[in-house]
Amino acid sequence: MSTPEKSFWDKAQTLDRRVLYAVLIVLTATSLFFKTEIPVNPDDSSKDLYVSLMTIDPSKTVLIESDWTNSTRGESAGHFEALMRILMFRKVKFVVYSIADAQAPQVARDALMRIQEERKGQGLKEYEPWVDYLDIGYFPNAEGHLQAVGNNIRTAWGGRKERDDTGKERGIFESPVLSNVRVVGDAGLVVVVSASATIDIAVERLYGKVPLAFMVTGVMGPNALPYYQAGQIVGIGVGLKGVYDVEYMMKYGVNYRPDGATKAKVLYKEDSVVVAPVTEGTTMDRGARYFLPLHVALTLMILAIIFGNVAMFASRRKKKEAK
Amino acid sequence: MKFLTQLAQLPPEYNPFWAKEPGNDALLWIFLTIGVGIVGMLLLTRVPTRARRPIVWTFTFLSGAFYVIYYLWPMPIDRDAREIPQGFVEQGGFFMKDALPRVADIANVLTFLLLCLGIFSLTKIHSARVVKKQKDWFFSVVLLVAMVVMVIVGYWDYILKEFNDPNALLTKAENWGTVNYAYDLLFDGLIQQMDAAMFSMIAFFILSAAFRAFRIRSVEATVMMASAILLMISLMGAVDYQWSELIKGWTGDDPAHMLNNLNLSQISGWVKNYLQIPSIRALEFGVGLGALAMGLRIWLGLERGGVSV
Repeated sequence: MSTPEKSFWDKAQTLDRRVLYAVLIVLTATSLFFKTEIPVNPDDSSKDLYVSLMTIDPSKTVLIESDWTNSTRGESAGHFEALMRILMFRKVKFVVYSIADAQAPQVARDALMRIQEERKGQGLKEYEPWVDYLDIGYFPNAEGHLQAVGNNIRTAWGGRKERDDTGKERGIFESPVLSNVRVVGDAGLVVVVSASATIDIAVERLYGKVPLAFMVTGVMGPNALPYYQAGQIVGIGVGLKGVYDVEYMMKYGVNYRPDGATKAKVLYKEDSVVVAPVTEGTTMDRGARYFLPLHVALTLMILAIIFGNVAMFASRRKKKEAK
Repeated sequence: MKFLTQLAQLPPEYNPFWAKEPGNDALLWIFLTIGVGIVGMLLLTRVPTRARRPIVWTFTFLSGAFYVIYYLWPMPIDRDAREIPQGFVEQGGFFMKDALPRVADIANVLTFLLLCLGIFSLTKIHSARVVKKQKDWFFSVVLLVAMVVMVIVGYWDYILKEFNDPNALLTKAENWGTVNYAYDLLFDGLIQQMDAAMFSMIAFFILSAAFRAFRIRSVEATVMMASAILLMISLMGAVDYQWSELIKGWTGDDPAHMLNNLNLSQISGWVKNYLQIPSIRALEFGVGLGALAMGLRIWLGLERGGVSV
């Protein structure tokens, strides 16, 4: 007995996965070569994040919890770099620390150096360690550590030393960056750039003591959004869309109308809030480079789902007709 | 209690052993801590089996009790460093607040000892595998060599940058030596790139799964697929923007027009705010209750797995 010949739709359903892989590689890799500016409506959470970052009192230090590694660099590196550019533009001092992954400080250090090199190339002022920022490394025991920071930041970080601008090792609270921080609430903002559940710990241990903002991966977004909805964090950038949103607002501002423009590119919930764009250095970078590949990958995914289902229904119909 | 309050409030010039300056006796204390930790662990292995459970439970209970009391005890707010506590409750609050970083330090030391234990265990198991030439022993060689090389190069690089570079010249790549390049190659060139490569592979599996498994076979699957596609489209800024421009054209840019509800960001926002977030909140609430119950069982020694030895 001969086996019935497979229809096109039957074959489509058993398509070799390597074909899918090849299509994905070719299309996303090709689209990476095009750095495009795509007009968007930034999410409300991204707008709140940008407005918070652009309106922090520059005399206050920002604490950055950098808990990402290169496994999520597609999203987190863009978040971190945009954050660095905004803070350096606004001349806000900052401290970078990590609590989730021992690799994270080095990854953050590398990203910071990239931004420093970029600014140097653009003739902008480089941030000086000790004077403008502190990189205080990794603290194990995330839960206990953040509780200690919330309790008394001076004792929690009291043992850390860094080299001052003369090369002498001194306690970090002698640095101009932290000299004005007596309790954690003296910081302007704690920004958690994370790809892990440390966002939960940050809310549990620091909420109510200091304003919190998150820059998280798309995977962590749903976990973090309840905190935003509840008003426990001032803003949040989620995934690659979040990176692009922030970069887009860095370029066009919020409720901001340049001379001659009748309407702002990005509108905010409060008309009275006008936030200018970032007017020095790079604004659209990693988000703009990866946003088109994201479109391509998502389109491919949607087409794959539709094609798979069409193939299934067509194949069923063929079989019914054959009977 | 008064003594403990005073102890916790020792000014820095007393230089207690937990605040030793690096370069003085810090190394001595580090090695002493390691020594005490190792002796403690060895002693624990000599303890009769029947006594192990009460010992483990006692330490678990005391550790948990500190945080429980810390949570419940009234704590000083905006306290001045020179303030002297009055009365039992205030003394307790001051003591707890001052002792918290020390307890966190103890947890850090324990984490370090656990790391040592992990390295010891890994070395023991994989060395035995190599010596006995068990199946895939070559991978054990790779693991051991990678671990040793990374530790040596990592520490060497750290010592060079931390102790032999007072002018911070090594922060710039042009001043690097062989060891710094080796560390950069191992960390940024290998570990980080492999990390990224492993994670990016998920994209292939997701696409393959989307094509093969995401099928409309039931009402639930249909609802799930519709919301997934909607959220994916809303992530595509170009589509969302063009669609919203189209709607603006229909509504004449009137923000009160009913058709504004058809904006993709509005729909996906509604799905997120009214379906996704409440579901996650409910899930987290359940997980939280479970964690609380499990924590209580372990703390009170009711969970056999928590304190079994």
